[in-house]
Amino acid sequence: MTILATEGLTMRFPRVTALDRLTVTAGPGVTGLVGANGAGKSTLIKILLGLLRPTEGRAEVLGMDSSARSLEIRRLVGYMPEHECLPPDISATEFVIHMARMSGLPGTAARERAADTLRHVGLYEERYRPIGGYSTGMRQRVKLAQALVHDPRVVFLDEPTNGLDPQGRDDMLALIRRVGVEFGISVVVTSHLLGELERICDHVIVIDGGRLLRSSAITEFTQATRTITVEVEDGQDALLVRLAAAGESAVRHGRLLTVEARSEATYDAVRDAVADLELSLVRLEQGRQRIEDVFRDETGAELEEVR
Amino acid sequence: MSGTADAGPVGAVETPQPTGVIHDIGYRRYEGRRLGRGHAFATLAAHSLRGVWGLRRPARAKIMPFLIAGTMLLPAAVSVGVMALFKQRAIAYTDYMVIMQVVPAIFLASQSPYLVAPDLRFRVLPLYLSRPILVADYVFAKLTALAVAMYTLIAVPLTVMFIGELLVDMPGGADVKGYTAAMATGVLHAVFLSAVGLALASFTPRRGLGVAAVSAFYLLTSAVSLVLFGVLSSLSRDDAAVWALLINPFLLVDAVQSWLFDVRSSTVDAYPGGPVPLVLLVAATALAIGGLFLRYRPGGSR
Repeated sequence: MTILATEGLTMRFPRVTALDRLTVTAGPGVTGLVGANGAGKSTLIKILLGLLRPTEGRAEVLGMDSSARSLEIRRLVGYMPEHECLPPDISATEFVIHMARMSGLPGTAARERAADTLRHVGLYEERYRPIGGYSTGMRQRVKLAQALVHDPRVVFLDEPTNGLDPQGRDDMLALIRRVGVEFGISVVVTSHLLGELERICDHVIVIDGGRLLRSSAITEFTQATRTITVEVEDGQDALLVRLAAAGESAVRHGRLLTVEARSEATYDAVRDAVADLELSLVRLEQGRQRIEDVFRDETGAELEEVR
Repeated sequence: MSGTADAGPVGAVETPQPTGVIHDIGYRRYEGRRLGRGHAFATLAAHSLRGVWGLRRPARAKIMPFLIAGTMLLPAAVSVGVMALFKQRAIAYTDYMVIMQVVPAIFLASQSPYLVAPDLRFRVLPLYLSRPILVADYVFAKLTALAVAMYTLIAVPLTVMFIGELLVDMPGGADVKGYTAAMATGVLHAVFLSAVGLALASFTPRRGLGVAAVSAFYLLTSAVSLVLFGVLSSLSRDDAAVWALLINPFLLVDAVQSWLFDVRSSTVDAYPGGPVPLVLLVAATALAIGGLFLRYRPGGSR
């Protein structure tokens, strides 16, 4: 079963071509849609929802044409937009119930599902307060809840980790993985950070300038982002020298060091180097590189060609 | 009946469940009915109607609409008092809207932006449109909500007055004809004013600007109407002067009422043109609704 399929999909706006003969398919599970800002991710989602009509080509969701059968598609699809989309003066409970009913659920079912869904996304007592007073993390949860409340077959999540702090990101990513695996709802999630999607996706589609750059199972990507980001308060240069002496290749980007992870031993080397130099370690994490950086190394030539 | 209070030998077998523990029963699929566009339309209209009156909203959202509704009701209450004391009618049903016009105009200006501006400003609109509804469903649901709210504002004082009249038992019987004519004309007022108010308010995501735009529309049309009427009257061009009255939206509807129900005009001896005001009213309403659709057309700025 294909979740989505496009064929020669082109979307031209007066000033810019957002999608350029994009042909891509995605199956069940969690699919990541990666691209720099302006690569055409949001445009693709809007076409799939039938909110925009493509200039050329066609798109299908769950085997239904996105232009001709958009109402049927929207009944079975959930959408979490990238931007803020919540009214501030009503409570999360009331808003999610309202959105459930807008999707066609009768009153009682809407109330039950709203309560269930808000609990699943991790909103408890605060759900009775007006949304205007929520933190960014809570807002993102409400946005996710309204996309899931009508039990869709597929959800489109547009940049769900935007604006979240590292802890919030991790929570949101774990939640998305749960939606895909435990809830059995197929997920199409966009991000401009490949490293982030790597953790939760089964399949990744990379688009750039509205064109398909790559579409493959996640396992094929893992090599590309084997880097460690190290943040220390000061003494970056000393650490750089120390790591070089230990045979690791590291690059400095301002306060951050990016270390190529050759094996598990690299983590130990970083740890030891930091400890020996008595530096204050702020952050040590797997590389969260921007997609451009990843592909500059791996498919740099290909990227240049496309441009 | 739970029957666990009497813990006999059978009841003791069960492990007592501590109360207040949330059991995570995992994700449940929804297998029930999924209703169509009609249900979504009714949901959105009801939700918007509650919003206009500030129901299930913070207290400050209720102040404006109920204050205005109270003001609208006041003359009706006074009129009932006058009827009870002096057995005389203070205000005719059919004159009520023209006399009170500033009050519904303020209601329209303050409440119509509430229906459309937040959806634009907080970008809820894309969420609505990602639901199985058409743009037309959204527009008409909002229009229905505002028209119902406006009609409530108009119909409640008229009805209060009518019930008062029945209780007072006026000499010569109750003015049933006047009441029904005013109630029917109220529908025209509600639909026309809502369409205009919503169309004007929908062009800005800022609520304050919307309020200003709708207020400006009323002030401008009523002022222009008055000035033109005065100037033309002083030039002794009375035929043209009565046409100038129709620029005021409330007088336009009043002219329609006067023709449809053969009611004496509340401002001038006679409105001009017979059915022409009705044609103008329908055209103006259609124009406003057309403007709304233009605003929300697919691909338009949202």
